[in-house]
Amino acid sequence: MSKTTVTRHLPDSITRAEIDGTLRSDRLWLHVGLFLSVLLMALPLLLAFVISLQSRGVITSVSQLSFDRAFENYRAVLIDYNMGRYMFNSFVMSIVIVVGKLAISLLAALAIVYYRFPFKNFMFMVILLTLMLPVPVRIVPLFELVAGLGWANTFLALTIPYLASATTVFLLRQHFLSIPVSLVEQAKLDGIGPIKFLVYVLIPMSKGMIAGVCVIMFIYAWNQYLWPLIIIDSQEMQVSQVGIRLLQGVVETGDIAWPIVMAGSIVTLIPPLLVLVLFRRPLLETFGVQQK
Amino acid sequence: MGQREIYGERGSVLESLKEGRTGEAIDHFRGGLAAYLLLLPTLVVSLVFLYYPALRAVELSLYQTLMFGARRSYVGLGNYVSLATSSTYQWSVIITVVFAAIVVVGVMGFSLVVSFLLHEIEIGKSAYLIAAIWPYALPPAVAGIVFLFLIHPTIGMFTSVIEGLTPLTVDWFSRGRQAFLVVTIAVIWKQIGYNVIFMIAGMNNVPKTLTEAAELDGVSRWNRLLRIYVPLISPTLLFLVVMNTIYAFFGTFAFIDLMTQGGPGGATNIMIFDLYRNAFEFNNHGLASAQSVILFAIVSVLMYAQLRLSDRHVHYG
Repeated sequence: MSKTTVTRHLPDSITRAEIDGTLRSDRLWLHVGLFLSVLLMALPLLLAFVISLQSRGVITSVSQLSFDRAFENYRAVLIDYNMGRYMFNSFVMSIVIVVGKLAISLLAALAIVYYRFPFKNFMFMVILLTLMLPVPVRIVPLFELVAGLGWANTFLALTIPYLASATTVFLLRQHFLSIPVSLVEQAKLDGIGPIKFLVYVLIPMSKGMIAGVCVIMFIYAWNQYLWPLIIIDSQEMQVSQVGIRLLQGVVETGDIAWPIVMAGSIVTLIPPLLVLVLFRRPLLETFGVQQK
Repeated sequence: MGQREIYGERGSVLESLKEGRTGEAIDHFRGGLAAYLLLLPTLVVSLVFLYYPALRAVELSLYQTLMFGARRSYVGLGNYVSLATSSTYQWSVIITVVFAAIVVVGVMGFSLVVSFLLHEIEIGKSAYLIAAIWPYALPPAVAGIVFLFLIHPTIGMFTSVIEGLTPLTVDWFSRGRQAFLVVTIAVIWKQIGYNVIFMIAGMNNVPKTLTEAAELDGVSRWNRLLRIYVPLISPTLLFLVVMNTIYAFFGTFAFIDLMTQGGPGGATNIMIFDLYRNAFEFNNHGLASAQSVILFAIVSVLMYAQLRLSDRHVHYG
């Protein structure tokens, strides 16, 4: 868009300088608005972080701030209050879910896209309709089933029920369908079997999509709260989300030890936040955001 | 990238169900048995841990639980009748619907403005983008506990600011409406990132020529958002209405559990929390299963609505 086209549509009395000025201040306001919005979003977290470094939770003026206990709070929450252990459990749970879901979803997508077999559409439906069955819809029988298997307080309970993934199968299928048919023909001519085809052709060609899906799965698994809360009752096996609930019981001089609770919240937030920041490109691409 | 990919999560799945297509164009490896072996792990987990418990919930919902889970007897639709006539449950349904409506409007209004500002600027775009989408990674438990602390009636930092600037008294541990409001704000905060991701994806797909033409005609920025972007990304917005409703119904348990325990006086006793309490505090498995079945009916209706509505409102793609 050239400047001359702009002036043609504007009254003669407005000069070029005025237009430039208006555009500049207009853009400035955009930045002010956006900056205030993202600041507003970050503010609760920034305050939580500041409190996590203090010796007490009640701060009424800036002069009361002291950072002597900063390291001590994080040491205490991770070691004395077991958050280190809970986070380890959350890591194991999330990694197993990501790897397991990805592995079995790759196999399922391979079958759905590259094989012809009876009841194919029906099977695809069976996988997709699991989207209508979030944990609350089946919570009591799921609890009875998993407890009946003797899995309470084990990693089996925390991971196996999560392994089937309609979303992952679906996204992988979409991606596989976009891979040129000629490549598949070539692979077939070369006598490559399905598993080799998956490992040497499909996976390398889907790296970005797989990375994006892994980020979605990791964040989803890490943030689980309800299921660990009911199926895990041994502190040793608890995950960090429920660990936050347990921290509420930490009392110092008759009140909840808020700096400790905030430190626990910050360490629980760091892994998914880090994953999001580091892998934002594949994540955004998987969600359909093109970046320049 | 087409419309279908944009709906990354559940939305796209429905699109494809509607198509009834599973990629029969490509057909390269032979052997139905081999295909079933590849599908086996996903099918086994789906049947054992998803379909079986869901069906069992329907069965359990027909039984009355006696003596804290020790015995049960068949009551037919008795549990559903109890729920329909229980004023606690009626209240729970009402506040859940109101809660979902406020969450949907609140999160989408705020996210729409942020996304549009983000879309309009040139400098610092990627930094702003990450600053706007990070709550996607925010654990609900963390969001809940941080708000519980910051707006704590006696020691909260926000509390002193609010009470200093306005005549209000922050007292949400005993006032239902305030508690409802505080929980809603925390719930909205966590969901902004998800909404911004999809709205930005939608806005990026609007042809540049269209907005340039509007700019030349002197259409104000605000009007461009309302008259051009909102109608053109309406499929994305509808998808988000459904996803945010599902989030409000199913993804907000941690907030209630950590912040209010359903109180005060049932003011934040949303359906999923009431279900949890019946199941695991009162061991009333029959009644809780009936509540599960009702939640399933709701999620089905939402998914179906998403499928139907997206038909009529597709303006592009």
